[in-house]
Amino acid sequence: MSRIKATIRFLYARRHPDQIAREVEGELRFHIEMRTAANIESGMRPNEAQLAARQSFGDFHRFKTECCEISRSLSFDPMPLKMGLHIALAAFAGALALWAVNVPHHSFVGPFRQLVAITILTCLFVFVRRARSRQRLAGDHSSDIFMAERERPRNNEFFVSDAREARHINIAAHDDQGRTPVERMFKSE
Amino acid sequence: MGKSKAGLLQGTLDMLILKALSLGALHGYGIGQRIAQISDDALKIEEGSLYPGLYRLERRGWIESEWDVSDNNQRAKFYKLTRTGRKQLILEEQNWERLAGATMKALRAS
Repeated sequence: MSRIKATIRFLYARRHPDQIAREVEGELRFHIEMRTAANIESGMRPNEAQLAARQSFGDFHRFKTECCEISRSLSFDPMPLKMGLHIALAAFAGALALWAVNVPHHSFVGPFRQLVAITILTCLFVFVRRARSRQRLAGDHSSDIFMAERERPRNNEFFVSDAREARHINIAAHDDQGRTPVERMFKSE
Repeated sequence: MGKSKAGLLQGTLDMLILKALSLGALHGYGIGQRIAQISDDALKIEEGSLYPGLYRLERRGWIESEWDVSDNNQRAKFYKLTRTGRKQLILEEQNWERLAGATMKALRAS
């Protein structure tokens, strides 16, 4: 039920971005007002209280923009859909390969039917390998700490991750001054 | 407590929000207060960063919100945990205990 509500909210946010922006702003302002009132109660003067409230809140516009963007983004994880598409594609390729093998010998494809089937299956294998490697790189960034079942770094590659991107960097690669990426991290001056 | 920033992990903030809401419906400001209260003021979060977290959790269907009137007669958005969110909190707690146990084991190794 909550999933349905979240989807309805997502659709509403797509259709009424201004309304959502106003709602978010109202919500964030309410927070600052509550904090200001608490600061006044603890003995601050109103101006000081408001300033302190804004400071403890952080960057108002950044948080407002982030909230609006999250409201407008997809309300479900597209991964199951992608997996479904991959399975459908694999089934289609399998059927095509089977058809190629069983095609009558006197037809146009006939003499090359085994070659056609092998090509289709090879393409499918390459596609699945690439899709799996893209999935591994995208990863799950809900936490910056990786649990034991995560893939280990390969050779001299060092896995770097943050909330937005994941990439492999080569820790043996040197820059113009002969420093590796790890040395650059620790000796940035 | 010093002013140094301990850099809370994103997943940790989500778990703390779920935990705060497991004790009852709250508005954003109240959630921040409750997190501070249940951690004996040991955890201080940049208050604004709670909101993207709340929107993310709502989008996942773990919490839901509705506008209501607060104690001081102002309109406020109240959040509450959904059934899926409650299940997720249990999972997050189990994962956290596993991770904390493994880290402590590693730190105590001689």
